[in-house]
Amino acid sequence: MSLLRASGVARRYGDVEALAPTDVELAPGETVALVGPNGAGKSTLLAILAGALEPSAGRVECESRIGWVPQRPAHYARLTARENLELFARLEGADAARVDALLERFELPPDRPSGELSLGNRQRLNVALSLLAEPRILLLDEPTASLDPVQRRRVWEVVDDVRRDGGAVCFATQNVDEVAHADRVVALQHGRIVGATVEAAFG
Amino acid sequence: MSAVRLLLLKDLRVLRRSPLLLGALLAYPVVIALLVGLVAGYANAKPRVAWVDEDGLPPVVSVGGHRFHIGSVVDDVAQQVTLVKLSASEAAHELANGKVVATITVPDGFLDELGTGTSSPQLVLRTTSGGLSQRVTEQVQSLVYQLNRKLQSGFIATNLREVQLLEHGGKFGTYDVLGLDTMDATLAGLPQSERVARLRDFVKVARLALAQTGNALHATANPISLAQPKQKGRTWVLSAQVQSYGIALTVTFLALLLAAGATAAERDEGTIGRLRRGLVSLGQLVTSKVALAAVVGVMLAAAIAVVFGIVVEAGGVEGGEPWARLPLLLVGVALAAGVVGAAGALLGALAREARTASLLAVLVVLPVVFLGLVPRGALAAAWWVSRFLPFAHAVRWFSAALYDTSPWRTLGVETLWLLGIGAVLWLLAGRAVRTLSA
Repeated sequence: MSLLRASGVARRYGDVEALAPTDVELAPGETVALVGPNGAGKSTLLAILAGALEPSAGRVECESRIGWVPQRPAHYARLTARENLELFARLEGADAARVDALLERFELPPDRPSGELSLGNRQRLNVALSLLAEPRILLLDEPTASLDPVQRRRVWEVVDDVRRDGGAVCFATQNVDEVAHADRVVALQHGRIVGATVEAAFG
Repeated sequence: MSAVRLLLLKDLRVLRRSPLLLGALLAYPVVIALLVGLVAGYANAKPRVAWVDEDGLPPVVSVGGHRFHIGSVVDDVAQQVTLVKLSASEAAHELANGKVVATITVPDGFLDELGTGTSSPQLVLRTTSGGLSQRVTEQVQSLVYQLNRKLQSGFIATNLREVQLLEHGGKFGTYDVLGLDTMDATLAGLPQSERVARLRDFVKVARLALAQTGNALHATANPISLAQPKQKGRTWVLSAQVQSYGIALTVTFLALLLAAGATAAERDEGTIGRLRRGLVSLGQLVTSKVALAAVVGVMLAAAIAVVFGIVVEAGGVEGGEPWARLPLLLVGVALAAGVVGAAGALLGALAREARTASLLAVLVVLPVVFLGLVPRGALAAAWWVSRFLPFAHAVRWFSAALYDTSPWRTLGVETLWLLGIGAVLWLLAGRAVRTLSA
């Protein structure tokens, strides 16, 4: 039984096919790595799975809460980290106590406008926002880019926590070393799945 | 707390933390109020009109036995224009370079022809073909009308003096006029006969008839007269129209820019993707921007109205700012700003990027405003186009809310227009916002 199933999801921008019809399933306790060069369709597929982008075709079935870490930090630059977390916590109907827990866990300065934070801090806030609703499925788009080694380890700890709790994780990466964190590899090229190995993606 | 309210509070907080934008928002109403006031003041200024006297009018003119101080008479009647005495060549030169908007020439022989009382001498009016010519022509027509009325009084007074001579007798040039009073007395001293009695009846009827002559002459000269008692009132510059235009201009400009910028910023900051993951519907997202425009619009309009009001009160103008109408005005502002906000959300979604959205909003708002300023008689096509844009309806709404004695019919009609336009814009904005996260 899968936690998330995407059937024939595709995305076109005019004449450009960003993602060909694609099937993806995420099983409980599974971690999947999406690998491929720039423009392979990894971000598009993750955004569709997260519900942030409407597919041109196909459908996504999911009964569980999804946490999404977009490639680019997605929060309000003039709000502080706390205010961003509080706003999205209210929108998601999450427990307000999660805000303090996440600020502490990711060591975020709570009262500075997030636009003034370092790129690493902004990416950590990005990850923290995805965890507000205690998701069973975590979708991460190159989550460790611009993080130092300590913070990278914390991200993978988050991934391990979700998986250990019976959730599923799917992350996109161009860093072949990070594939080691995955149980399964999905290789993408030119918007299509081309294999299940790193070599297939970059070969 | 609803998603719309949360997003609205977030946008207001973001706005509060943008010092430059906040400063501009605070200064804007004052600047707009001043600019509109200056424009209105210019529109209200008297145009310069050259007065060319080719007849050499003396300081005092005698017409029909009545003496006029010509300078005083002209100054008295020239309420709507500033008359400048110039020679014919100077007047022609200044008319050509626009320093005067018209010339009025008193041709040679004017006074002689006027004195005959048998034909009407002509003043010659020359104007440019610019936009002011119609207005100046009307004002000079008014001036001639007023002059005629002054002269008319003189002619009537002269005629009445002659009628009184007939009634009571006296000297008329070299003649000694007997008069009806003396004639009646003379007839009374004669032996009474049927013929004398008939003459005395005639004298009686003639005296009664001549007694009515004064009223008859005035009534013939002025079949309808207009009584215009002087009273204190609000000045034109601070009148309803200017205040309505000032508020509508501010609200349209800022609501469009704010909503466009705030909508596009959701994409710039990458938050549109997060919001669209079931947290906020497209309708709620557009509504939050509409609400932002409405809230900020109401605050700015209130500031403008209060500034106007303080100026009016400080100037001691009776019947100035209708303070009791401000709540009604602000209802209209919320409505109009919301409608413009929907247009802004549409522009922001189409532009997809905050800077482009701001530029696009500025480019769009100017023609929208100018179309709304075009009177129906000036360019019917522009007037019709403006009916489908919110600005003109907002102006009428505000004007009626502020000063109409019974504004409800106008408010009802304009509210329906604004709601209709707003609904269309809201739907279009919702469709456009769908593309933002792509």
